[in-house]
Amino acid sequence: MTDAGIYLHVPFCITRCGYCDFNAYAGLDELKPRYLQALLVEAELAAPGWEGTAFVSVFLGGGTPTTMAPADLRALLVHLRERFALADDAEVSIEANPDTVDVASLRALRDAGYDRLSMGAQSFDQAVLASLERIHQPASVRAAFSAARAAGYDNINLDLIYGTDGETTESWERTLRETIALAPEHISAYALTIEPATALGRQVAAGERPPPDPDVQADMFSIACELLGDAGYRHYEVSNWAKPGFECRHNLGYWERRPYVGLGAGAHAYRDDVRWWNVRPPEAYMDRVEAGELPIGGSESLDPSDAYLEEVFLKLRILEGVPASWFEPERYEAFVESGLLDDAFGQLVPTERGMLLLNELVLGLTA
Amino acid sequence: MSTEISHIRNFCIVAHIDHGKSTLADRMLELTHTVDSRAMRAQYLDRMDLERERGITIKAQAVRLLHEGYELNLIDTPGHVDFTYEVSRSLAACEGAILLVDAAQGLEAQTLANYHLARDAGLAIVPVLNKIDLPAAEPDQRADELGKLLDRDPDEILRVSAKSGEGVAELLQAVIEAVPAPTGDVDAPLQALIFDSAFDTYRGVITYVRVQAGQLPSNAKIKMFATHVTSEAEEAGVMAPEATPVDALGPGEVGYLVTGLKDVHQAKVGDTITLAGKTGAVEPLPGYREPKPMVWSGLFPADGSDYSDLREALDKLKLSDSALVYEPETSQALGFGFRVGFLGLLHMDIVRERLEREFDLELISTAPNVEFHVFKAEEESIVHNPAEMPPGGDYDRVEEPVVYATVITPSDYLGAVFELCQGRRGEMVDMEYLTPERVEVHYVLPLAEIVFDFFDQLKSRTRGYASLDYEPWGYQESKLVRVDVLLHGEPVDAFSSVVHRDKAYEYGKRMVERLRELIPRQLFDVAVQAAIGSKVIARETVKAKRKDVLAKCYGGDITRKRKLLETQKKGKERMRRVGKVDVPQDAFIAALRVDEKAKR
Repeated sequence: MTDAGIYLHVPFCITRCGYCDFNAYAGLDELKPRYLQALLVEAELAAPGWEGTAFVSVFLGGGTPTTMAPADLRALLVHLRERFALADDAEVSIEANPDTVDVASLRALRDAGYDRLSMGAQSFDQAVLASLERIHQPASVRAAFSAARAAGYDNINLDLIYGTDGETTESWERTLRETIALAPEHISAYALTIEPATALGRQVAAGERPPPDPDVQADMFSIACELLGDAGYRHYEVSNWAKPGFECRHNLGYWERRPYVGLGAGAHAYRDDVRWWNVRPPEAYMDRVEAGELPIGGSESLDPSDAYLEEVFLKLRILEGVPASWFEPERYEAFVESGLLDDAFGQLVPTERGMLLLNELVLGLTA
Repeated sequence: MSTEISHIRNFCIVAHIDHGKSTLADRMLELTHTVDSRAMRAQYLDRMDLERERGITIKAQAVRLLHEGYELNLIDTPGHVDFTYEVSRSLAACEGAILLVDAAQGLEAQTLANYHLARDAGLAIVPVLNKIDLPAAEPDQRADELGKLLDRDPDEILRVSAKSGEGVAELLQAVIEAVPAPTGDVDAPLQALIFDSAFDTYRGVITYVRVQAGQLPSNAKIKMFATHVTSEAEEAGVMAPEATPVDALGPGEVGYLVTGLKDVHQAKVGDTITLAGKTGAVEPLPGYREPKPMVWSGLFPADGSDYSDLREALDKLKLSDSALVYEPETSQALGFGFRVGFLGLLHMDIVRERLEREFDLELISTAPNVEFHVFKAEEESIVHNPAEMPPGGDYDRVEEPVVYATVITPSDYLGAVFELCQGRRGEMVDMEYLTPERVEVHYVLPLAEIVFDFFDQLKSRTRGYASLDYEPWGYQESKLVRVDVLLHGEPVDAFSSVVHRDKAYEYGKRMVERLRELIPRQLFDVAVQAAIGSKVIARETVKAKRKDVLAKCYGGDITRKRKLLETQKKGKERMRRVGKVDVPQDAFIAALRVDEKAKR
């Protein structure tokens, strides 16, 4: 088995942002040493099950992994290389928030082998950042970005969020232009999604804040496609753009349905149509690992129809598309005629408009 | 017979809901020792009905009270405008009526209407003011009001408190004195009036009867006049208040008869029972009328595969509901269902609720409509379904049913009542001040206007003070048009409606606005139009959907997102397709809902 990935989850954050429904917690800093130890032990417990698998990527996500000490993160990576067959040229990504890094810490991480940095910029509009309850300022994004370049990072992603309450298309366009001006290798732009189990979700449900307007988000998506395309970024997934050659190898693994191992609280793993995941609460996760068990919280086996549905919706996301021969012509002809799908020599690939209506395409094709 | 006919009194209580009828009945049961004081509970007769829902269904339609050598039969009357005919049959079983009025609230329209029915039936009227012990009671004013209505000295009007029992003994005495004894020849051929019927799972059809002439023995071979059905009756009896079999019911007596029949349609309210064979009467009692549905609605199973369950449920309900009629209907939008006829809005609500609750069916019902008579080239056709109305005015004329409505309102709200009735195409007949503060107004109104949230409007515009009663008043020609609703150019039959020409635009506009909110965005712009024939009178657009995609989809999200897609897929499967447009079930239900429900 080849081209697998390793995902590690760090559930610590300085503050909890209102829109975020990830497995992340503020105020659990005292757990960090124990948690690091648990990660090391879990890697040890999990590795035998992945013998013979070649790994091409590591992704340290969160949470905010850079809230942990660079020395600890170095030890973690060393440990992983000892336990898993990680290729020498593997892509090793780490997520960071602007206020948690400086030149020194970034240099330490770079030296430790974390060669791709993914930074949560979200916006260059102060009002949007405040509305998202982000603690950083637009200036700190620029500062952190310069620091990363100074530390030697030549593969940087900036995360953006659009469609926040009060954000205009003009503001979004300014954020994009500021981002392009920094010239990162990779840009992820996500439409704000309201998750019910978040502070923002509760505010929207209570009518205290308006839900995002899907038409405005559609306009913003078009603006992103246009500006980023013009700036030389290739749109390679619904929410991801990259300079040629800088597509995120790890994330592509999810969409190409390659295997991945997941380490840490709530992390997911996948191999051969089976997906399983760790228990979510950090305490429960550590207790299980300390008892010498794999901290698995649940699993699912994909039956052929599940696997087929995933194959279709994931392949459509990355513009690789799916073969037209999988479907009866009446399932896709109307989509091709109305300009939502391109029929490129028998391969059905969503157009820009089609990407925005991907759920409809998937439901229409697989109904 | 146990009681001389001269010592029998048959009477009912005419009262508005909440004016204390059940409490007064309680006191009468107590005072006459019909119910042992230890067994006494509030609302005794009403509770018996409820408790019997689980056992044998013999309603306390007529309860026998023995008081000072007299047999007093208290006959219950239905309390809703849908059942005016049933009320008239109950009244026909009596010689007298207590007109019970709340001393705080005064006369209400229904009480007044039932009083008129009672008076026209020749009943002796015993007017009574109840709740005289309430702080808000105004017995003198109410007595003036009643005195004026009945043309009597206000001082003669009895005052009671059904709650405390004050004055109830005097009231029974007044009934004995004022209500005449029944008459009837015990040797004449049997004529027994059916004033109510019920269906019991174990005993079949039970009728409540008043013997007018002759004798009804317990095991008689009986014949129904209207339906020409004969049967071996199983048991005759009286309610005292428990069902108590008797050897026979004699002239003037009131009781129940277990008929041996299995279908209530064979023993209709208002029909006459006699003995089968040569000893039977030649003529029925006067006044029988076939139950006639006034309001129609299409009922469709929300899940099309429940169609046969719905048919079975209706067949079963029909056994115990003689007024229920239905015929199969096929809608392009809603599939297979039934067009069902009801006596009125309350009856419609009762039937729908029973279908949903007792038979566990989820239903979509179309907006209620009345029966239209369409004339074209001397041909008359009767239309129960707006979708069957010739479109675009392809007929000579249309007639719709009208009602004679009685509204009683505090005079402060007279303007609001005028405005409402006028706005609903009403023609005022007359009005009369009951007292300086309360007015009785009569209107002739199209039934279609009443069916559409009239009662709720009346209540809200008069802060709940006005009351309404109405009775059928024939048909009249009207400028009616059929308004169709089209989705993306396709007419949706379930949304068609017949409305007055002057209101077509307003109706069409409201429907398309409502549908624009209810129809989810599709992959293309959907035109929502209201049209009369080929002429579009209102239009809205459901703009094409532009965004429906999951923003993030990484390792841990994939399972969740796949499940979301599966949920979305199931939702789509449950939608109904109108042409190219997917319409969710809920949109039909919400769009077809009359704004507010009709209540008592």
